[in-house]
Amino acid sequence: MTGARHRVVVTGLGVVTSIGTGVDAFAAGLRAGRSGAKPITAFDTTGFAYSNACEITDFDPEAWITEQSPDDLGRAAQFAVAASRMAVADAGLTEEQVRGVRSLVSVGTTDGESRDLDHLTGLQVTSGDDVLDAVVARRVWPGRLSAGIVRELGLEDVETVTVPTACAAGNYAVGYGYDAISSGDVEMALCGGADALCRKTFTGFYRLGTIAPDVCRPFDADRQGILTGEGAGILLMESLESALARGARIYAEVLGYGLSCDASHPVAPDRDSIARCITAAHRNAGIEAADVDFISAHGTGTKANDVTEVGAIRQVFGDELPRTVSIKSMIGHTMGAASALASAACALALRDGFIPPTVNHRTTDPECAVDCVPNEAVAADLKVVQNNGLAFGGNNAVLVLGRWDTAPVPTVA
Amino acid sequence: MAAETGAPPAELVISGWAVSSPYGLGRAAFAGGLASGRRAIAPLDGADWPVPYEEAGLIPGFDIKAVLGRKGTRSMDRVTGIAATTVGMLLEEYGTGLAADPESTGLVLGTSGSVQSIMDFTRDALTGDKPYLVDPARFPNTVMNCPTGQSAIRHTLKGPNVTVSGGAATALLSLQYASRLLRGGHGRALLAGAAEEFSVQRARLERVADHGGAAPQPLGEGAALFLLQDAADARESGRPVLATVLGSRFRAFQDTARAGTALERCVADVLAAAGATPDDVELIAPGTPPGLLGKQEESALDGLTGNRLPVRSLVGDAGAASAAFQLAAVLAEAEADPRLVDRLTLVTAVDRDGTAGALLLRLA
Repeated sequence: MTGARHRVVVTGLGVVTSIGTGVDAFAAGLRAGRSGAKPITAFDTTGFAYSNACEITDFDPEAWITEQSPDDLGRAAQFAVAASRMAVADAGLTEEQVRGVRSLVSVGTTDGESRDLDHLTGLQVTSGDDVLDAVVARRVWPGRLSAGIVRELGLEDVETVTVPTACAAGNYAVGYGYDAISSGDVEMALCGGADALCRKTFTGFYRLGTIAPDVCRPFDADRQGILTGEGAGILLMESLESALARGARIYAEVLGYGLSCDASHPVAPDRDSIARCITAAHRNAGIEAADVDFISAHGTGTKANDVTEVGAIRQVFGDELPRTVSIKSMIGHTMGAASALASAACALALRDGFIPPTVNHRTTDPECAVDCVPNEAVAADLKVVQNNGLAFGGNNAVLVLGRWDTAPVPTVA
Repeated sequence: MAAETGAPPAELVISGWAVSSPYGLGRAAFAGGLASGRRAIAPLDGADWPVPYEEAGLIPGFDIKAVLGRKGTRSMDRVTGIAATTVGMLLEEYGTGLAADPESTGLVLGTSGSVQSIMDFTRDALTGDKPYLVDPARFPNTVMNCPTGQSAIRHTLKGPNVTVSGGAATALLSLQYASRLLRGGHGRALLAGAAEEFSVQRARLERVADHGGAAPQPLGEGAALFLLQDAADARESGRPVLATVLGSRFRAFQDTARAGTALERCVADVLAAAGATPDDVELIAPGTPPGLLGKQEESALDGLTGNRLPVRSLVGDAGAASAAFQLAAVLAEAEADPRLVDRLTLVTAVDRDGTAGALLLRLA
């Protein structure tokens, strides 16, 4: 696309999910097709006919947050900080080494600390409009999601930004890191997404009739919607030169990404616009559709999303669709963390040679007929994978990752 | 036309701008207000605004339906209305030709959405007959990218549509994001800037926030957006080059006492990268946060002799839109003062969550 850019690789992963915290537990969960679905405990669900979500019930903020008071961070920021610490360690770096280079921290989110805003609203309702929990009130602004990481790691030569571009935000944040490193602006980047379960978002999706009563079944004829989820995924990225110079283990190369905006409807996805986004990503990455070995779909498991998304994929790929999976079947829809966690899953898939399954699957819907790798992971020799992120506001972002040792050299587009 | 075309921009410029501020809608009101030095902060009607503040910088008489019409505005919240209005003003004045290439035209908006919309939605859930009896049309308002996405819908902007957030530095981060997108080939023309609303819930939350150890200042609201593109594209389409973006630098500080050092480094780095010296800076629009943060910013800018443009003291603490107003003030000043042609200008921000940033421009 442009000359003399740096190649960008992923060398560290940090994940907090309902099927496992830490890259090894997450990888094992993906391979085993584990499900994080369970009854919600995050808030009182009295009055809802059903209320499963992919909640994280074993997260211990004190284990990860040591340089600031965990109470200064909301749950989403706590996830983000924990995942960042993991990503640095997983990359074989000390935090001092990260402090020594110019970096970018970009964290995507849908809801920021809306769980805290739920809490503050609840206080107003029960105790009066003037009643405020000041400790919580000070941590609700979304900037804290990225600033919390910077504070925890003691970074100074860093650009810190939160990217609240809803449910594709993780891909936006990772794409931004790719551009910042490939242009030479920064040497390393900690990028991804984080969100915490909250009443507000569960209620909104429930009201829209898009919450599944039991589990999430993407591409299934009987799919009934999403399960809300929570967690964080952070990718540590650096230039290929930097990774090679320090002998780092490389999960994957970031080949490029594309963005598009539907500019048509606030919540309904638009097939042509998604197809345009996929095409832009392929062009940016210097690949052809036929190069893609599998697609990690947005795959929410709603009627509308899966048909529209597969239609868009078909528009670009023709009848030769690559296997198309949704890890939301396992970890739920983790909102702003979703495409970041899916990016992490893609990176693991490339390194370890497997495709994560779409679990809870019974009968594929002919309206969105894909090989979704039903229920059991498969071994696969992968070179290029595509990760879709779609969001409210018609905000689409598609990321392309490649196995670094065999990745095609990007061609001029 | 594809979103990615041609070579990366050689020279990024601002070729248009628009502002909605406590002085009113439009550039003329803003420029006139600043030039007069009149404070745009007015007493609040406690019945309309039950907030722990006596005064605020509201966009005078802002009424979404009056400005944008009834279509598509039934459930629109205030920050979305402000953003969509400002995007519309920019496109109306400077948008010639952009509509022909909607897929390469995008929006990078700095905003943290509307805490009012989020909390109202949860309140409805908690107080209704059933916990799910909420207005589904208002659900998108509770997601922070709503102003960005809605602005794209109203004005058919199909290129990159990105929402960014970073406190008082938000608008500088937004311009940086847009610059990288353009350099990365993700679009040809991007509107970049920030929007903020005044609301009861924002006021309640801001009242207890850390204001550098000082008392909270009156809150402001509004939006300012800037059209960013390659200089050659701007000239080809008959748009004026108002300023060249020379670069931005950001750093973090762990405690407030280090904020000045962080900003000083940002300024030194951004000047050095542009091959400029402190003496070249003719005009500075600092963030002027209250308390210790403000003192830190002042000390960081000590070595610069350029004129200071006060903004916050006149329009209030505009939250996410703060630095967008500062940049708008610079462009308003440049329009009025021909001596600023070819001179450098700095916009700086120091955010309470630990970010310092500086944006360097050459005025045209």
